[in-house]
Amino acid sequence: MASATDSRYGQKESSDQNFDYMFKILIIGNSSVGKTSFLFRYADDSFTPAFVSTVGIDFKVKTIYRNDKRIKLQIWDTAGQERYRTITTAYYRGAMGFILMYDITNEESFNAVQDWSTQIKTYSWDNAQVLLVGNKCDMEDERVVSSERGRQLADHLGFEFFEASAKDNINVKQTFERLVDVICEKMSESLDTADPAVTGAKQGPQLTDQQAPPHQDCAC
Amino acid sequence: MTQEINLNSLKELEREVILQVLYRDREVQNVEEERIRKLKTHLQHLRWKGAKSTSQEHREQSCARCQRVLGVLLNRGAVCRGCSHRVCAECRVFLRKTRAWKCTVCFEDRNVKIKSGQWFFEERAKKFPMEGNHETAGAKLLQSYQKLSKISVVPPTPPPHSENQCERAFGYKLSSPDILKSLHQEDPKHSPGPVLEQEDSPSSPAARPLFSEGLRHESLISINSTSTEMGNFDNTNVTGEIEFALRYCFRTHSLEITIKACRSLAYGEERKRKCNPYVKIYLLPDRSSQGKRKTRVQKNTVDPTFQETLKYQVDPGQLAARQLQVSVWHLGALTRRVFLGEVLVPLATWDFGDSATQAFWYPLQPKAEKCEDSRSVNNGELDIRAKLVLPSGPRPDQEAGEGTEDQPSLDGQLCLVVLGARNLPVRSDGTLNSFVKGCLTLPDQHKLRLKSPVLKKQACPQWKHSFVFNGVTTSQLKQSSLELTVWDQAIFGMNDRLLGGARLGSKEEPAGGTDSCSPLKLQWQKVLSSPNLWTDMTLILH
Repeated sequence: MASATDSRYGQKESSDQNFDYMFKILIIGNSSVGKTSFLFRYADDSFTPAFVSTVGIDFKVKTIYRNDKRIKLQIWDTAGQERYRTITTAYYRGAMGFILMYDITNEESFNAVQDWSTQIKTYSWDNAQVLLVGNKCDMEDERVVSSERGRQLADHLGFEFFEASAKDNINVKQTFERLVDVICEKMSESLDTADPAVTGAKQGPQLTDQQAPPHQDCAC
Repeated sequence: MTQEINLNSLKELEREVILQVLYRDREVQNVEEERIRKLKTHLQHLRWKGAKSTSQEHREQSCARCQRVLGVLLNRGAVCRGCSHRVCAECRVFLRKTRAWKCTVCFEDRNVKIKSGQWFFEERAKKFPMEGNHETAGAKLLQSYQKLSKISVVPPTPPPHSENQCERAFGYKLSSPDILKSLHQEDPKHSPGPVLEQEDSPSSPAARPLFSEGLRHESLISINSTSTEMGNFDNTNVTGEIEFALRYCFRTHSLEITIKACRSLAYGEERKRKCNPYVKIYLLPDRSSQGKRKTRVQKNTVDPTFQETLKYQVDPGQLAARQLQVSVWHLGALTRRVFLGEVLVPLATWDFGDSATQAFWYPLQPKAEKCEDSRSVNNGELDIRAKLVLPSGPRPDQEAGEGTEDQPSLDGQLCLVVLGARNLPVRSDGTLNSFVKGCLTLPDQHKLRLKSPVLKKQACPQWKHSFVFNGVTTSQLKQSSLELTVWDQAIFGMNDRLLGGARLGSKEEPAGGTDSCSPLKLQWQKVLSSPNLWTDMTLILH
């Protein structure tokens, strides 16, 4: 959908060097849970109800302002279909964080979360940050997976949890921003433990104040 | 998708779609690499600033960053816990909300780690130690795709009109999962196969004829470097850093380069994940084999430790004109060499007053652009004096063209006196064992060659040697070309080193820079048009 305009958008964004760092994020989950819609809502603030299966992989670039830093996000959207598994798993290694998505109206997609989590453990780095997202929370009438079950599973797997709706734009931005924050935390941690000069100091120089109120008016 | 045919045609389209994504990704990666390169360069300059601007006496305590003298009681400085150097209060950066601090360089080092994503690669390396730093899945995909499709650089192609066309265009029929097979290094079955970009290296500069297409600096100097510059520069994936220290002893005139280690090097053979790195250095502009120093080869590692000290004898006055070139190479099977990156350190701005040997990490860079600097094309000047001697009495030119062998006395003589040369690219000890070769190429491609004696141990040799080319006529000379080259004689049967050359005569192509040659051209015409008169000329050596 709208691929011509998308690539132009990506071009403009991608040639911009004016940012502090770049994070790579991967969205995974069963087919048709709404990964592409979720990304389009976040990157373009658009939504199309028509379902178009993603071919292999795709990505979008978005630069956000967070914790006084300009962070360029390269967000990879993956095909949920099994036949693309070889190509999609190849991208796990380059990702710093994951959005693992299921559809609250689809029991099967929820049951597959455990398998997706195993995939992450297998193919990604050890400190991969994962957010579990139950999408389509606007479709309350067709809900089959309760919020409580989602939360329990997230706790069990050690992930943070959001219910969201790409259609109604609920918790989309919050999901990405939270993921950026936890990656930042992991970054500080990784640098400070490797670093005798600041052992004892819990937080790094740039990445403190994580809990600052989100910039509602930021340009993203 | 229910029918086999539909599935196939879809896969062709799928591949197109995926390729588009891969190209877009590559653009993003290019921007990112450029940004990271800038970051690292900035850090490197910051490190050098501390190392080079010192002018303090050795015994005086000074700040390792700004070189300010530290006091005995007041402003004594403190030791940075990152690098263990003593720095003054100005050169500390306090970490927010803590009393911990770092010196400016260590702080910037941390910054670069954050901004370049290095922290992530280091973390990831704990689980996947074999993973190259910046190589992305997309880059691997593209590479494997390009190999399979036999198209070296595939621009994004429009979607095919029919399946048949598409098949022809790509040479192979592939389904998209096939493209991806080589991604899985876990599966050794897919790993063999030639490394795509390394087979058709266009840069074997020595193969280029000497003066074929204008005067090419790079081709000239490479001729003598015995196989050393012949390696493969196409390995665009230069990664990693090298740690070394520089020391110069003013008493013994010895320059010591201690090569400590490298880390996160690119694989010399990416497919086989092989890397046998070694380090080679030159004190540019001297690229002779005498000026080469190498470390031992380390086997099967991208993080080699060398701990070897390489030495030069260099006069202090020579240092300013020198540039230290430190390059890392992979030694492959059949002594094939693959370039892994280099660092250039201009010694003119390096301060050796600080006798403490301090090692730094330098990010490796791809091969610098050829002819990066117009000054470097000038390899010195050669002074000559030329005269055309014609027998008394005019002769018809047409006759003279024939029978030159039999009646040389009846024809003209081109007399040259090679006076001397200046500003030659001398050896590290500031001298040369130089000689001049002259080659007159007649219109029939017959070549007359002459050579001067060798003048030993001189930087500005004054040969004052005469070359006499017999049996030539004015009309012949007008279509002839004269090449003069200056050489440094090698010891022990190694190849002599070409220092530079210049050409006079007909074959001056516009590409060779007509503007700069014009005065020379006029002088040469003067020699030919006014026989029996000496003309003095200064040739710029390239």
